[in-house]
Amino acid sequence: MAATGWRVKRGRKMLAAVVLQLLGRGLVAAARLDKRVRFEVASWPDPYTVTLMIAPWGPGVSWRRKGDTLACLGSTNVDCDLLVTFKSVDVALPTLLGAKGVLDALAEHRVMVKGDLTVAMVLVRCLNIVEGYLFPDIVTRRILPRPATRKRGHLVAYGALIHTEALIQVKARPTEETAA
Amino acid sequence: MIPAYYEFQNSTKILSGSHAIEHIGYELAALGVSRPLVLTNRELLDLKIATIVLDALEDTEATVATIYDNVPADSSTAVANEVARVYRETRADALIAVGGDSVLDTAKGATIVLTHRSTTGLVEQQGAESLLGRRTVPFIALPTTAGTGSEVTSAVVIKDTDQHLKLSFQSLSLLPDVAILDPRLTLKLPPRLTASTAMDALTHAIESVSSRQANPLSDCYARAAIDLIREYLPVALDRPDDVAARLALANAALMAGVAFSNALVGIVHAMGHAVGGVAGVAHGEAMALLLPHGMAYNLDAVADRYASILPNLLGIEAYAAVPAAERGQTAIETVKSLLAMLHERTGIPLTLGAAGVQADQIPEIAAAALDDGSMSMNLKQPTFEELSSILAGAL
Repeated sequence: MAATGWRVKRGRKMLAAVVLQLLGRGLVAAARLDKRVRFEVASWPDPYTVTLMIAPWGPGVSWRRKGDTLACLGSTNVDCDLLVTFKSVDVALPTLLGAKGVLDALAEHRVMVKGDLTVAMVLVRCLNIVEGYLFPDIVTRRILPRPATRKRGHLVAYGALIHTEALIQVKARPTEETAA
Repeated sequence: MIPAYYEFQNSTKILSGSHAIEHIGYELAALGVSRPLVLTNRELLDLKIATIVLDALEDTEATVATIYDNVPADSSTAVANEVARVYRETRADALIAVGGDSVLDTAKGATIVLTHRSTTGLVEQQGAESLLGRRTVPFIALPTTAGTGSEVTSAVVIKDTDQHLKLSFQSLSLLPDVAILDPRLTLKLPPRLTASTAMDALTHAIESVSSRQANPLSDCYARAAIDLIREYLPVALDRPDDVAARLALANAALMAGVAFSNALVGIVHAMGHAVGGVAGVAHGEAMALLLPHGMAYNLDAVADRYASILPNLLGIEAYAAVPAAERGQTAIETVKSLLAMLHERTGIPLTLGAAGVQADQIPEIAAAALDDGSMSMNLKQPTFEELSSILAGAL
C-alpha cells in the first residue's frame, strides 16, 4: 500500500510540475496576447521575481519582470520577491487543473503568500486571465469570478506557449474592450 | 450551507466585564511573565485611561519593565522596531498594549520583529499565513476603542515610512494571548468616534458574512455582533457613561473581529483602505459611508446572505414583516437608516465628498482598492471601471 501511495504521490507531483510549466508559459503567452496582463505585470516593481510552488520542495515555476520584459524562468530555483506556496500537491492539483478557482484556493487557506499582498492580488488577476486562455468556457464559468474575455482564441494562445518572454510596455490602463 | 472547506481559530483568552483589568496580575502569572513592557500613547495617559491599567499592574507580582508611550496615530515599522529595541534593552518579557488600532498594531509589529529576528526588518516578513513558528513574546491587548477588533484578529497593516510601503501581515501568531474588555477603557469615547468605530465593527460583521471565506462559526460571531450594535449603539449615544452599553459595544467589536479574522472582509474594506491611504479619511468613517455602496454592488451575488442577517440588523419583529424577496435589499436600507441617524446625531459624513475626497482622486483610489488584499475575498470581483463608478456614486 505504501508503495502505491508513494507512486500516486509522485505521479501527482509530476502532473503538477507539467501543469505549472504550462501555467508559467501561459502567463507569458497571455502577456503577448492581452494588454490587461501586460499592464498588470508592468505594475510589479522592477526587477521582481515571483515563484509559485508546492510545499515542501516543489515543483514550482518562476517569472521575472525586468525592465520591459516578463520572462518565465521555468522550474529553476531562484530567490524570489513574492512566493506563493500551495500547502500540498493534493490541494494544488484542483486549482492547477481548473477544478477550483484561484480565489477559492485562497479562501480555503490552500496557499500561503510570502511577500507583498498587493502584488499577489495582481498575480491573481493575471492568473484568472491566463485561465481564460487555457481552459474552455465550461471550466472558466465555474472557476473565474467573471466570464472570461479573450482577445485571441484558444489555439492562438496554445501556440504562444512556445515563448518564454514577453514585452510588457503599456501606457494606459486597458479596459476589457481595449485589451488586445 | 457548510463550505467545502474552512478553517477557524480564536485562541485568545477573553476577559470581559467589570474590573476585568484587575485580573491582569493573574494572567501575567499564568503566562509566566514578570517584566511586561506597557505600550500606549501619551493621550491615553493624559486621559487617565492607561493609568487604570498601570494602577492594576502595581498590585501584581510583576514589575513593569518600562512604559513606551510614544506610539503615533499611524503605526509604522520604525516604531515597531523601536519598541522591539526597547523591549530587548529593558529585558522585558511580555507586551501589554493599551490603546486603539495604532497601539495594538504596533505591538503586533513588535512581536514579529522580536519573534522572527529579521535582518532586513519587517518587509521580508509580510504575507499571508507565512509567519511560521510560535510567537515568542507573550502579548496582552486592552482595546480603548470599540471597533477594530484588533485584540482578536490575525491581521495587521503597518506603514514602512522609509520605503513608502504598506506592509500587510496575516498570521495566527498575531493573535494576542489575552484580550481584556473593561468598560472603563471606552467610557470616554466621544459620540462621533463611538459611532464610527461601531460602524467599523458592523462593517467587519457584514463583510465577513458576505465573504468568499465565510463559514458557520464566523457567521455566528458576526450575527451576535450585529445584534449588540443594533441594540446598544443608540444607548451609548444617549448615555455615553452607560457601562452596560459600552461593554456591549466592546464585545460587538471583539465578536466582529473574530468573525473577520476567520472570514476576512471585502470590497468595503478594500475601498476604505484606499480612501484612507489616498485621501486620509478616518477608517471608521470611510467604512460607515462606503458600507451601503459596497452592499449594493454585492447584492445580486449575496442577497441571501444579507437576508440572513436582517433579523440581527432590524430585530426579529420587524424582520418578520419583510417579504422574503425584499430582505436582502432591506438589509441595505437598514444600514442606510442607521447611517442617517448617526449622521444626524454625531455628524459623521454620509458621502466621500463630505469626508474630504476630491473627484480627481477617484482613479487613484479605485486602483489602490483593486490591489487591496481585502478584495480577494469579495465574491464579486469588480473591474477598475466598476470601482470608479461605485466611488463616484459615493462622492
